[in-house]
Amino acid sequence: MKPSTVNDPRRTERAPGLSLKMRGMLTAWLFVSPTVAGFMVFFLGPLIAVVFYSATEWNMLSQTSTFVGWANYQDALTRNPDFWHVMRNSVVFALGLVPMNIALALALAMSLYRPFRGVVVFRTIFFAPVVTSAVAWAIVWKFLLQGEAGAVNQILATVGIDGPNWLREPNWAMFAVIVTRVIKMVGLNMILYIAALQAIPRDFSEAARLEGATNWQIFRMVIWPNLAPATLIIVVITMIGSFKVFDHIYLMTGGGPENGTLVLAFYIYQQAFEFFNVGYASALAIIMFFIVLALTLVQILLRRRGSL
Amino acid sequence: MAGLTLNNVTKKFGAVSVIKGVDLEVNDGDFVVFVGPSGCGKSTLLRVISGLEDVSGGEIRIGDRLVNDVQAARRGVAMVFQSYALYPHLTVEQNMGFGLKVRKVKPADIKTRVREAAATLKLEDFLERYPRELSGGQRQRVAIGRAIVSDPAIFLFDEPLSNLDAELRVHMRAEIAALHQRLGNTMIYVTHDQIEAMTLADRIVILRDGQIEQVGSPRELYSHPKNVFVAQFIGSPKMNVVEAASLSAVSEIGGDLAGVVSVGMRPEHLTVTQPTDGLFRGRVSLSEYTGAGSLLHVEVPGSGTFLVLQNGPEAAETGAEIGLSIEPENVHRFDANGLRIPSSNSLKGET
Amino acid sequence: MTYRQQQRIKRICWVISLSIVAIPFVFPFLWMVSSGFKSANEIFGQPSLLPDVWRWRNFVEVFEYQPFARQYFNSIYIALVVTGLTLIVSSLAGYALARIRFAGSVLLVVFLLSALMVPEEVTIIPNFFLIRWLGLTDTHVPLILLPVFGPQGVVATFLMRQYFMALPKDLEDAGELDGLSRIGIWWRIALPLSRPALAAVAIITFLHSWNLFLEPLVFLSSLEKFTLPLALGNFTDPYGMPLWHLQLAATSLAVVPVIIVYVIAQRQIVESFAMTGVKG
Ligand SMILES: Nc1ncnc2c1ncn2[C@@H]1O[C@H](COP(=O)(O)OP(=O)(O)OP(=O)(O)O)[C@@H](O)[C@H]1O
Ligand SMILES: [Mg+2]
Repeated sequence: MKPSTVNDPRRTERAPGLSLKMRGMLTAWLFVSPTVAGFMVFFLGPLIAVVFYSATEWNMLSQTSTFVGWANYQDALTRNPDFWHVMRNSVVFALGLVPMNIALALALAMSLYRPFRGVVVFRTIFFAPVVTSAVAWAIVWKFLLQGEAGAVNQILATVGIDGPNWLREPNWAMFAVIVTRVIKMVGLNMILYIAALQAIPRDFSEAARLEGATNWQIFRMVIWPNLAPATLIIVVITMIGSFKVFDHIYLMTGGGPENGTLVLAFYIYQQAFEFFNVGYASALAIIMFFIVLALTLVQILLRRRGSL
Repeated sequence: MAGLTLNNVTKKFGAVSVIKGVDLEVNDGDFVVFVGPSGCGKSTLLRVISGLEDVSGGEIRIGDRLVNDVQAARRGVAMVFQSYALYPHLTVEQNMGFGLKVRKVKPADIKTRVREAAATLKLEDFLERYPRELSGGQRQRVAIGRAIVSDPAIFLFDEPLSNLDAELRVHMRAEIAALHQRLGNTMIYVTHDQIEAMTLADRIVILRDGQIEQVGSPRELYSHPKNVFVAQFIGSPKMNVVEAASLSAVSEIGGDLAGVVSVGMRPEHLTVTQPTDGLFRGRVSLSEYTGAGSLLHVEVPGSGTFLVLQNGPEAAETGAEIGLSIEPENVHRFDANGLRIPSSNSLKGET
Repeated sequence: MTYRQQQRIKRICWVISLSIVAIPFVFPFLWMVSSGFKSANEIFGQPSLLPDVWRWRNFVEVFEYQPFARQYFNSIYIALVVTGLTLIVSSLAGYALARIRFAGSVLLVVFLLSALMVPEEVTIIPNFFLIRWLGLTDTHVPLILLPVFGPQGVVATFLMRQYFMALPKDLEDAGELDGLSRIGIWWRIALPLSRPALAAVAIITFLHSWNLFLEPLVFLSSLEKFTLPLALGNFTDPYGMPLWHLQLAATSLAVVPVIIVYVIAQRQIVESFAMTGVKG
């Protein structure tokens, strides 16, 4: 046999400076150091800062800020009527979007979770808007939804419907913004539902079918109960997403008409970067944070209970 | 090549003590097998020796070198895993040469060493294949080949054969034995399988609950188990152990019975006789035919069920009354702490 | 009618109804591309799916109106850099969190999870001041760093961690015995075995950066620095009214390549979203 490489005496003399345990720790911290550093600088620091900002008022002229305590929050919650208007818009947006999105996603998933000829084509089509940039989507729909000349209204006209000027009338604008957003995002929930549906053992519905259950009964008694956990999660994720929507509305309506589609994320942007009410915008951001936090906690609790 | 010395080695996972002070001396070139019940810490001890787990206390020496804080790769050990742990994205040849490549050995040298090991293990035809294209036995050979190529002082095996079917297991067992013969390296081998332990080992280490119960050659452990645990652990089917007081026949066996609390008799040492002829009698509650013989479950009034191996084609039938007898020197006697009382010559003299 | 014929008719009706539902999903793409070829006048005439005159000049004017080529390039290179950095940073941290026991790992996981709960809109204000203080407004640095270390990066980290945890531990032990350092194990064993997860991270990260809007809007001011999403909304006449033919031609140029890649790799892309959707 060859002399063993490992019993080379020079190796023996290499006294290890650190214990194995310490060495493991150091490598671990080396591995996570970029993440930790980035986290501190771009997340934790800013998060603390925004709390401070929310208690100050920024003076554009003198470039100074003064401490105002709770005033910004009081402004939002009690003095500024815009805030409640914006909150109402956000809630309307969420309450309009979530049920429509979930119902459509579920219907599409139910149609597409089992293989048939062409299933891939349909899945590809329904998911395509998800990978498309929100900006492009908004631009195209804004184009399609113009008053007289818009393609949608011209098509409606051919069947005798006189379509409204979608994006110029507050209620219709909200409706249009919601529907186009649903079309953009429904594909995502569709594939989550397809995954959930495919995870249900086939025996369940087959057993029910052998017992003579109708399709609707199978859905009610077998499939829906099995989807309930996934549905809860999907609802919460969609709800959070709807509170964060910004680019879609910024490009389609600019928050108008008459602030009819001005939602929270947009309002924050406007206050911070158009009106430079940094303190007030920060207070709004904190409020938004708590809304999303509450929704996320709901989601975590649901997940704890073993769903998904 | 080198021996291995463990000196009061302990290992804790958090607050849980898994290895509780192990002392062991392994001579250079020995084949040592660790056995013990599931969860007793065999794998953990092996991993501590390899350096994959850091040691919590005590000393580990490989040869003369204290390796407590030496990285696994520098300890001069190679390990063969139960799962084989072949890199799925590398070919057989790359798998076997990987360690050398990492250690910056010249490609030409890697090639010769891999070819050499492949020849030993009859793997030449598979060098270009990926692990997923191999059978279980071939994968196992590649895993062993990878260990050979790294030319370790000590080979470590963690249940290397337990994923193979019975026939292949017997075959690979023989191959490993042959490999040890040829290479002469120190090998440490963890297994659940008694037969593997008995056939492969120069010395067996019996572990229980993180401690060594007994170390010895297979023969020693079989005929001179230190205590009830070892006595029952080695040998299959396991030794019958009953309270001495429950069996009147014990007195007939004779010898110094002072302090004897229980006695043990191996199933293969009990012989079936006519009901009237035996040392004691019982009723066959189950008779399992195994081909070469039968395994009888015998109810002995007052003492419980005895397992008895009956050789030959004929077997006592279920329900039959039989007598059982045993050579006195084959009776193991244990004291109140379960420790075996060494048999004295006087015992033999009296029969 | 036989049972078989009934089934057949049922199936055909089914496909037809699905096709009707699909119209608002497909139509915008078709309309976008075809209108990109129309003249400004034709766009407001009778709607027709195909242009009367194919006006290829639109696609030239897009590049003349503003530095669109430069903006296109900006989007590509930023998305590539963000993707590369995210892959490295998230797989390093994900690996340590999955595989190494170290003091503070639990705390770190909790912190990172909390980052998932905070929308960009909340931290963008202080981040704006931070970036301005660093003198990096109107550069691409914030567009690269914020996504890498923001919620998107955290999602990637958890995805990688999840995947690493499922890899067989024995392989890494074997690597350790073969003489690899931790970095070596990460690079030569864990990463090659994690291609599906890396692909998923790459796909969602690239698209996220490619489609990013709020950050460019806040941080960029000069046209040469713009990225595509910002540039697309920028084809307007002096009164701020959109020049539709240019806007739609530019949008087509931005969207069509993505859609082509998507159609080719749709299975992989959809799976990537499913992975993050459920786990993230
Ligand atoms: N990484 C770990 N963290 C905490 N406890 C562990 C760890 N590894 C092993 N243990 C515990 O240590 C004990 C011994 O485990 P070990 O794997 O060494 O047993 P074993 O003798 O190899 O068992 P088996 O025969 O089933 O393989 C077990 O109780 C196990 O739960
Ligand atoms: Mg084990």
